[in-house]
Amino acid sequence: MFRQSVKMAWKSISSNKMRSFLTMLGIIIGVMSLVVLVSLASGAASSVNSRISEIGSNLLTVNVKDDKGSPLKLEDIAKLAESGEIKDAAPVTQSSVAAKSSYAEESAAVYGTTGAYAEINQLELYAGRFLKETDIENHTNVAVINAGLALEVLGRMDVVGETVALEGMEYQVVGVLKAKDSDTSTTENLEAYVPYTSLIRLVQDVPYEVTRFIVSASGEETMDRAEEELKEQMLERFSWDEDAFSIVNQSAVLEAMESVNSTLSFMLGGIAGISLLVGGIGIMNIMLVSVTERTREIGIRKAIGAGRGTIMMQFLMEALMISLMGCAIGIGFSWIALKAISAVESGGTAYTLSMGVVWIAVAFSMGIGILFGIYPANKAARQKPIEALRYTG
Amino acid sequence: MIKLNHVSKVYRIGGTKVYALKDASLNVREGEFVSIIGPSGSGKSTMMNIIGCLDTADEGEYFLDGQIVEEYSEKELARIRNKKIGFIFQSFNLIGNLTAEENVELPLIYQKLSKEDRKVRVEDAFEKVGLSDRRRHKPHELSGGQQQRVAIARAIAARPSLFLADEPTGNLDSVTGREIMEIFKELNGEGKTIVLITHDDEVAGQAGRRIRILDGQVSKEEVCSGNQ
Repeated sequence: MFRQSVKMAWKSISSNKMRSFLTMLGIIIGVMSLVVLVSLASGAASSVNSRISEIGSNLLTVNVKDDKGSPLKLEDIAKLAESGEIKDAAPVTQSSVAAKSSYAEESAAVYGTTGAYAEINQLELYAGRFLKETDIENHTNVAVINAGLALEVLGRMDVVGETVALEGMEYQVVGVLKAKDSDTSTTENLEAYVPYTSLIRLVQDVPYEVTRFIVSASGEETMDRAEEELKEQMLERFSWDEDAFSIVNQSAVLEAMESVNSTLSFMLGGIAGISLLVGGIGIMNIMLVSVTERTREIGIRKAIGAGRGTIMMQFLMEALMISLMGCAIGIGFSWIALKAISAVESGGTAYTLSMGVVWIAVAFSMGIGILFGIYPANKAARQKPIEALRYTG
Repeated sequence: MIKLNHVSKVYRIGGTKVYALKDASLNVREGEFVSIIGPSGSGKSTMMNIIGCLDTADEGEYFLDGQIVEEYSEKELARIRNKKIGFIFQSFNLIGNLTAEENVELPLIYQKLSKEDRKVRVEDAFEKVGLSDRRRHKPHELSGGQQQRVAIARAIAARPSLFLADEPTGNLDSVTGREIMEIFKELNGEGKTIVLITHDDEVAGQAGRRIRILDGQVSKEEVCSGNQ
């Protein structure tokens, strides 16, 4: 019986192709908006998340806005790391310079920092070493470069011991960082890390005072306590003025982003859900027209022995089939749309069909087919055979 | 086989009762060929609907094969229409988007027969009405006479014991009408019970017995010399 209903439903759908397609269109658009929007939102979310977790989630960034006449010095930063919950602390200053070798010249971001930076950011070395205490003390012109800079400016990865000119000044390369697996080396930013003390001399606009530094907690669980402790020390230092500095908690940022993203997903999903619902109403509308149009057919079927259940099943199957076919086409289009968006989008974020939302779309379409099919199907099934036979459209 | 006992059917139009059938009684034995004749509005269609289990009587009893039809549920009535009764209508009543073959197959699907059984029965039925070469056509591609043959094939395929024909020749020219009547006679010859409803005396005269209906009552019964 089931197979027969499927066959009959298909027959009726295919004998009225234009109308069936237009009815499906409501579901197609609904499913497409659901799948595409939610996939886009979750794609954007995962790209933001991966970027943030790259930075590290047990990381606190402190910006000093007003030093109250007693600026932080490098020694002060080093002292911070001696207290309990704070594991490491490193000053960070950043500038943009021209990096040059006999191979090529490119502009690069250069960070002035200390050896603790690598610990806090969990940087991994491909070769050589990171900055050392003595490099800072002696204002040495040594640099650790990332894979991007190594490949773009020096032409290869094995460049430890060679020199690179930063803003015209010769720096000896002491270490090369591993390429991040998420990026290919061609899209990786060009970065160099040099001693804080060296960068002050190299670039004019970098002050001797530390205005920005990063701190890591001993673990993600102790983040809150580390933040408390850090805040305490900073307050003490800057005459209890909370506005003199700000502490940015990476994991708090991550949490906020996640909650924004999930709100966004829900909102987009909700909008798409509404358009699916509208599609469902379209199905009901057409099914009601179809039942009226086919009153005579229903009469004939009943006269030759179709029971209520059989007629009900036939029309319900038809509604279900329209919505599921619409759903399948919608998912197909979504896949194409996401491919196209990924290709066009320059950020390199790959948007993929998230299987979760695909199943939600299928379940939703099925529900809508049944929900909006049941009333017309029941109307068809309840027809009295003699009245239905007498009906002249 | 068919026994109507003082059957009435009432319609209310406005406040007044209108009897479509009033105290009508009728007996049809197994294997008989009976025609019911009467002018339009005489109640013959109502009678056919009741006999065909498409409608139920308001008063009186209807026995089909010894069973009171009024006691059946809707589901059982559908099953009786499916297995015991073969309908042939004036306007053929084929389903437009199905081919001739699929139309004939339909009651067999409702009988839940296997694919192989259905195929054999459909072939037999088409052979019997002489339309084997038109099986894959849609109804609108067939002439009136051919459509009626398909309708008869549909009734035959279900292998009912009773054929109920409502003005089967009403929409056909006289030559085609006679051909259709021949099929009924043939079926009757095989022992099938046939009840034929018509307003045409010549058609009615071809049955074994003619029952005249007037104003919802059986007014006259006569045995026809007919072509028996």
